[in-house]
Amino acid sequence: MAEHLVFELAPAIAGLPFLAFLIALFFGKYMPKKGALAGIAAAAGSLVLAVWTAATLFGGAEPYHTHIYDFVLGAEGVGGVDLSFGILIDPLSALMLVIVTLISTLIQIHSLGYMNDDGQTGLPRYYAELGLFTFSMLAFVYSDNLLMAFMFFELVGLCSYLLIGFWFRDEGPPSGAKKAFLVTRFGDYFFLIGVVAVFATFGTTAFVGEDSFVVMAEHALADGATEHITTYLGLDVQQWFTVIGLLVLGGVVGKSAQFPLHTWLPDAMEGPTPVSALIHAATMVAAGVYLVARMYGFYALSPTALGVIALIGGFTALFAATMAVVKQEIKQVLAYSTISQYGYMMLALGGGAYTAAVFHLTTHAVFKALLFLGAGSVIIAMHHDENMWNMGGLKDDMRVTYLTFLAGSLALAGIFPFAGFWSKDEVLYETLIHGLAGSPLLLVGYAFGLLSVFVTGFYTFRMVLLTFHGNPRSDAARDPASLRWNTKLPVAVLGIGAATIGFINMKPVEELAGTHLTFLHDWLAIGTVGEESEFAALTTEHYHHILFADYGAGYSAADLGPLIPAVVSLGLALAGVGAAWVLYSDPDPVPQTKKLGSVRTLLMNNYYQDEFQVWLARGVTVPVAKAADTFDQSIIDGVVNGVGSVSLFSGERFRRIQTGVVSNYATLLTLGLTLLLVVFGLVGGWF
Amino acid sequence: MAVAVQYYLLLSAVVFCTGLFGILVRRNALMFLMSVELMLNAGNINLVAFSHYYGNLTGQVFSLFIIALAAAEVAIGIGIILVLYRNFDDIDVTEATTMRW
Repeated sequence: MAEHLVFELAPAIAGLPFLAFLIALFFGKYMPKKGALAGIAAAAGSLVLAVWTAATLFGGAEPYHTHIYDFVLGAEGVGGVDLSFGILIDPLSALMLVIVTLISTLIQIHSLGYMNDDGQTGLPRYYAELGLFTFSMLAFVYSDNLLMAFMFFELVGLCSYLLIGFWFRDEGPPSGAKKAFLVTRFGDYFFLIGVVAVFATFGTTAFVGEDSFVVMAEHALADGATEHITTYLGLDVQQWFTVIGLLVLGGVVGKSAQFPLHTWLPDAMEGPTPVSALIHAATMVAAGVYLVARMYGFYALSPTALGVIALIGGFTALFAATMAVVKQEIKQVLAYSTISQYGYMMLALGGGAYTAAVFHLTTHAVFKALLFLGAGSVIIAMHHDENMWNMGGLKDDMRVTYLTFLAGSLALAGIFPFAGFWSKDEVLYETLIHGLAGSPLLLVGYAFGLLSVFVTGFYTFRMVLLTFHGNPRSDAARDPASLRWNTKLPVAVLGIGAATIGFINMKPVEELAGTHLTFLHDWLAIGTVGEESEFAALTTEHYHHILFADYGAGYSAADLGPLIPAVVSLGLALAGVGAAWVLYSDPDPVPQTKKLGSVRTLLMNNYYQDEFQVWLARGVTVPVAKAADTFDQSIIDGVVNGVGSVSLFSGERFRRIQTGVVSNYATLLTLGLTLLLVVFGLVGGWF
Repeated sequence: MAVAVQYYLLLSAVVFCTGLFGILVRRNALMFLMSVELMLNAGNINLVAFSHYYGNLTGQVFSLFIIALAAAEVAIGIGIILVLYRNFDDIDVTEATTMRW
């Protein structure tokens, strides 16, 4: 029995979008907006519930955890495992619920303009899939165990496949959808093995409570309580935890589009733009990073896993940012910026900056959704031409879009005081102080991150300048289509968010002003109050404790104020913006990246990663599969067919004794009986 | 004076072998049926003989049941033979082989 009414309503947060999915699917074609109204109403209802939930937590309520349904009950006492569904609402999941429902609501409103007003067909399917997508992500977010998380993680992947391939009659979308599905599935394969490994090791996959795998793992390392833990491959406990962590990380790398599984995300741009916004800001891609944050108590125990996460993140941040520099389509630039920004979150998680990672996840959700919806507005105005070299001069005709897009870009580039500045700065600062105190791996990640701050500033403003400034370079740009309220309202809401949401955690200012300003940190620390509470293990304070403990990651913090690193990263971002301004502020800009020569070719081809992966598939996987096929056909099937042929042949011969003549049967019977008697006689010694 | 039990067994064996011989060499279905009856009655003779020998009536009761059973069997057998004749215009058991392989 929940103490608070809203916690009893928690299943409805995911349930409402599912209802909308059913309504849009079956009745969408009879409804005035083809299912959009059901979707918007459901998402808005979920948003209200999510905000209410968060407010209840903020008001001092204990986090909430409940079992809903056990679908497999293990046998008692023989190490059987229970498989169940449950809901866990703690500050992290409540925050994510608010983000997902907010973005989903705004995106469905925007879709009214992008899809309905554009006369697209198949809209009931579109809104149904959006509803299912939202439902899967919300259920994933408040999963209380790893298996449930995995199931909805997969459902999220399925929905993104459906939505990316929404225009399945064209050539590009189905191909992009398949790629997204297959590449993320490759990562999920490791995740699945990780889930099984967690079951095999701990006998449970719960996230919360004394007998959750996170807490059991911590006790195993801190107090040597290993009696309920089984390790494999002859590894000691910590090494085995690292292995499990890295297996689960496979799914994270696939979903969050980290190197080397990032290749699906740019191709996912083939889907409708609001879908891209949803995938990039709140669902799908966010799922990976969220998963690491969800089980951060487990990762914090393994310095190796953290190091790998930090290095992958830092490298991806820079790697993707460089590719964004030369792209010509506005959505491609945004796609690579997403990969890069999620790299920052991974860097933060690996660098021991849990709060910063969640902070960046939050701010990024807002400003990336804003940028995509802005890009969507531009694309409508440009009659679905996405090439930035055909745009230019849109800032006067599209005032609202321009201003909000600018706010989003400033946030993305990390310019004071927009959202991205605060979160990105905190990511870099935390990584730096942990790195300086004896973790050189983190310093490498920090260097990558710092360099990509400059690149981010550059590509972001290259995009802004090419799209909105200068002279129009095509007829469509000279006379853009007009937009209605339904595209402007969401970007306006998000634009205000992008400008202000950074204020929830102003670490450098806190240092400067001496007052308490890190509200997000406090939020994530809810649950610490009662030390004996099962939720205490899910707070940022506790993670900090594990990170700094000898049995955990063993991090320590260097004594360095947050001001100087903040100034450095802001300076780099401004330098990037300045470079873009110098090169592209001309009314008739020229493609400056041509000067990069062969480097540009390399970047345009995405470092030949696609070619590499195709080669892996064609040059390695296909021959291996062929060899396996040959083995299967000749050896395995040969044995089976051989057995069959022998039976067939002997059957063919043996049936000849069935003559159909009764006398023969009688003879055989008599002879058989006689023979039996003789044998009994000989054996029994009658003669 | 009573006849020794071995003579009964000998009689039974002779009757049984006569029946067996009939089954093995005859082609006429009616003769077949009669041979089967002979074999059954050989069993009955045995039962009655042992029953008498041990002074226990159970064997005789059993043989009564077997006689009733044999009557039923004959009814079915005659039925089969009638159908056989209708289908093959003959009651030679070696002719009815259309259902083999």
